[in-house]
Amino acid sequence: MFALGYFTYKDLVHDRWRSLMTVISLAVVVAGYLLLSSLSRAFLTAGKQTRVTQNLVILSADAIDPMESSLDGDVLQVARALAPDQIQRVFPTLFRHMEIADSILQVRAVPLEEMPAALNLTLLQGSWPSGSQQVVVGEEIARAGSWTIGSTVNIYGTDFQVTGLVRAADTNLAAIWMSYPEGQRLFGMRHGFQVGYLALAPSADPESVRLSLQADPRIASDYTLYLENAVSEGLNQVNHNLVTLSSLMAIVSLLAITFGIYNSTSLSLAERSYEINLLRVVGFTQARLRGFLFARALVLTLAAYSLGWLALDCYFIYRNSYAPLGISEMPLNLSLTASTSLLGLGLSTAFAFLGVWLTSRRLAMLNQLKGSD
Amino acid sequence: MPFGTDAPFLIEAAGLEKVYQRGDEGVVALRNVNLWVLPGEFAVIIGPSGSGKSTLLHLLGGIDRPTHGQLHVNGVDLVAASEAALTRFRRDNIGFVFQFYNLLPSLNALDNVILPLLAKGLGWKAARARGADMLAQVGLSHRQKHTPAQLSGGEQQRVAIARAMLLEPCVVLADEPTGDLDSASANSIITLMVELNQRLGVTFIVATHNLNLLRVASRTYEMADGQVMFAPAG
Repeated sequence: MFALGYFTYKDLVHDRWRSLMTVISLAVVVAGYLLLSSLSRAFLTAGKQTRVTQNLVILSADAIDPMESSLDGDVLQVARALAPDQIQRVFPTLFRHMEIADSILQVRAVPLEEMPAALNLTLLQGSWPSGSQQVVVGEEIARAGSWTIGSTVNIYGTDFQVTGLVRAADTNLAAIWMSYPEGQRLFGMRHGFQVGYLALAPSADPESVRLSLQADPRIASDYTLYLENAVSEGLNQVNHNLVTLSSLMAIVSLLAITFGIYNSTSLSLAERSYEINLLRVVGFTQARLRGFLFARALVLTLAAYSLGWLALDCYFIYRNSYAPLGISEMPLNLSLTASTSLLGLGLSTAFAFLGVWLTSRRLAMLNQLKGSD
Repeated sequence: MPFGTDAPFLIEAAGLEKVYQRGDEGVVALRNVNLWVLPGEFAVIIGPSGSGKSTLLHLLGGIDRPTHGQLHVNGVDLVAASEAALTRFRRDNIGFVFQFYNLLPSLNALDNVILPLLAKGLGWKAARARGADMLAQVGLSHRQKHTPAQLSGGEQQRVAIARAMLLEPCVVLADEPTGDLDSASANSIITLMVELNQRLGVTFIVATHNLNLLRVASRTYEMADGQVMFAPAG
């Protein structure tokens, strides 16, 4: 056993530059797997289906984006009158996509009492806005923007103070929330709004109510009704594609690490055919040879995996702290989970061994050392 | 010539043939080779390049198998032996010396010498003690910790000879051992091999172009085109 370790060490150190290049090339493969796996999981989380809520939303019929919609208070009253038993409350919302702190975010101005009630926002830290120029922000974008209670956020040329961090149970989208009057002052909108909310009674069936309201000519002519989660998904067309893409990325990442490790190990071993044949000639059995080669492959693989893992972890820490990734107002939280790390380590080791085993078998069948003839 | 364990010969080869397949074509490297070597002899196989000398040594050492013929070395039938048996046979009976030394570049002289002992499973300390002793016998005690890159050609070949001798083989097969050396180094290697042959009684079979070896040979074979053109009587 000691001899095995000694010769492995000697072999690696003697050819230190090639060993180093092998480790680096394997580390790149490992980092690629870890990155793809993490992106896959982040996409899967971001693209998950939002639940069906007891809210309906009204937009202008010709609006593709809620920001293009233009409504007034009459439509809300018409809708309520059409279904007085099913609709508990109605309220307006101002809606904007804006670039804030180098990220595209949603800014929503809603009545304060509806934030926890109809919109199901949970206050995680701090308090709800109580005065002018105050906002609460979603937890994901707070982390991405390094915002805490008391931070200042500049929106549309006006500085706002962050009073609270919230979690939005029904949407993945990154949003900043302010009171409705504050939004009216900020955007100069005394009348009119973009999105109308209809908060339904708990016993009401949202789809049935939607269909019945949409059928009324006073609604159908100029407005479109949606389930609330459909608006979220309508805003982000890539949701379904993200889930599909995440599955593909997961498969690609697994293939990358298995074949990448196998090829690299196999090539590294093929370059050792001289040493392998010599050891065979002086009397080492196939089993002992494989033991030496396995030990060598294990050292290289573990070194490469550690290097790849460390490099990517540092990258994720930097990325999440200073330049967070996001897709269309959805922040992507990249991290290395224990399951991903252990699976990658297991696959790397297994396929390194497979590379050794298959290549050593092939080398054993080739001609041995030649003399002068 | 009699075959079997009662025969006095250490090596008995009859009708040896070796054909290498190159695509659809078969290349005949050896044809109808007969060879006998007694224990303790210093046999020399001489011939030009391509005459089949190395191929013959590979067959005698169990590195390769003949296509046809019979071959017994130290009572072991090398034609019928399994791969595992051939590995054990090589380890226990044969020492190899090659033209280009074939030392592992990552190991120093002592580590290269003790490889056969480690292959046999001997402990680390005992192997190094025996290896140091063998290096002393070939005059390289002071170069134990030097890697092949730090040794001259002649010194590397001495290390290779020490490695070949370490397990006290019944026969040492040397394939052009002086082919890569200057004349002075070549002569010193020849002297060393003869001395080991005479002092320890180890059988040497040397394939070579070097005619200087003929004067120290106790048995000579001349090869050309894969055939033995001349063999000694009896």
